[in-house]
Amino acid sequence: MKIFWAFTRQAFQYASVYRFNFFVGILLTFLQMYGIYWVWRTLYTQKPDAFGVNMEQMITYGVLGMAMQIFMWSRVQWYIANQVKSGAIDTDLMKPLDFHIHMLARSTGETVISSVLALPSLIISYFILGISLPADIGTAVAFIVSVVLGFLVIFHLNFILGTLAVFTLDIRHISWAYMSTVRFFGGQLVPLWLFPPALLLIANILPFQSTFAIPMSIYIGKLTGADMFRALGFQFGWMVVLVLGSRLLWTQAHRRLVVQGG
Amino acid sequence: MEAIRLYIRLVGISMQARLQYRADFIMGAFSVIMLNVMNLALIGIIVYRFVELNGWNIWQLFFLYCLWLLGHSFYSLFFWHFWDLEEDLIRGTFDQFLLRPASVFIQYIGREVQYIGFADMFVAIVGIGLAYVKLGLHWSIGLWLFVPVVVISGTMIEMTLNLMVACISFWTGRSSIALDMVMEFNVLVQHYPIDIFSAWFRIVVTGLLPVAFMNYYPALILLGKIEKTAVPGIGFLSPVVALVLVGLTSIVWHFAMRRYSSSGG
Repeated sequence: MKIFWAFTRQAFQYASVYRFNFFVGILLTFLQMYGIYWVWRTLYTQKPDAFGVNMEQMITYGVLGMAMQIFMWSRVQWYIANQVKSGAIDTDLMKPLDFHIHMLARSTGETVISSVLALPSLIISYFILGISLPADIGTAVAFIVSVVLGFLVIFHLNFILGTLAVFTLDIRHISWAYMSTVRFFGGQLVPLWLFPPALLLIANILPFQSTFAIPMSIYIGKLTGADMFRALGFQFGWMVVLVLGSRLLWTQAHRRLVVQGG
Repeated sequence: MEAIRLYIRLVGISMQARLQYRADFIMGAFSVIMLNVMNLALIGIIVYRFVELNGWNIWQLFFLYCLWLLGHSFYSLFFWHFWDLEEDLIRGTFDQFLLRPASVFIQYIGREVQYIGFADMFVAIVGIGLAYVKLGLHWSIGLWLFVPVVVISGTMIEMTLNLMVACISFWTGRSSIALDMVMEFNVLVQHYPIDIFSAWFRIVVTGLLPVAFMNYYPALILLGKIEKTAVPGIGFLSPVVALVLVGLTSIVWHFAMRRYSSSGG
């Protein structure tokens, strides 16, 4: 816990040093929200009842999707890749803390900071774009649980991607394909229930919907009751698989680093 | 003309350097194509449900997207390194350009080539070709000649805007977040017709950051949708906008250089 706060403090200091970045960052996030708002508004004016959810729910979904991109800003994969490239990874390996846990603490700190960055944009959106709040306390709690699970899923996916850098060295280009896949099959921009059946089938199997589609659908009340618990179970299941996968892959990577004398 | 010879030579050297990493190029090209296909698929999914977006059908939207992308592809080929300007200034690697007896500007813009731009170009040309067929367009010779003008203007607009914004780092030390901001305006203009947004947005992308001249206004002419604006011929102004921006950029660059050398950097 102490280490977690150390990283949180560090990130806060970073944010206050680059105040310019902070304010432009808020504007940038709001601009993205504004964009998706007008897309849905225009479409709903044309055909108000094409989708099972009302306009306010859809706009809330879209705006949340932009706010939750903060998960995509997690730098864990770049951190690992840079440390491997520069050779500084050996200092990380010498630390008296499990590397996986160390990265998780770091990433949590970063994400907390990013949330602080996303909050002002969300508040502005609440007043200007008219997004709605969760229907009741139960929904809000389920949403938070789902967001935490979603964060853990994306963290481990990022961790695995970063670990690949030990084997291939350069992950820059792979990560472009990776990020667009997460956004697409995660339902960040367009909700999965609008997907054609074949794509929906793929999206339902892949872990990516844990990060965006599931928490956001819970928030707007599209996922409720037994379906909601099934979705939370889905997230939990993938998290367990990915934790095991990460540990296994890192063990391999660690061995490789040690053999290379890294 | 010495400057152009030097520029071509620098680009040639960068290309040779890049050619050494072939696997990297294949992976990069694959990723860029995938990214664009997924973006187009998202546009396709929403429009498929609704048939059209404010009077733009799916192929017209693809055309809009790909016209922007074609101009952008030359930007990403030749000028991608503007994003690294702040890093160059922090590390002092920018100083190498001041030491050589040649134009700093030419040296800087000729610094790097990113082959990935070819993947953008590929997607854009295929997309525009398909849209041309699917929409049953029949352009006159004049319009055909207008297309390369639009593309080059688009490249110049993106290049000059980004370079001017990157120059912020000569004063503040940081510019990449401002570049992200400009990119976001670009993304919105690329993905959606600006007539769906409110007035202030349209004013910004027409006057302040005139990225709508990269695709939207010329596309109205090329797709025969001129009834969308009050000024039907506004799309023909793209090259004029590009030239004005080139002029502004040379002024900004001049001041940036004065600032940089005077601060002893």
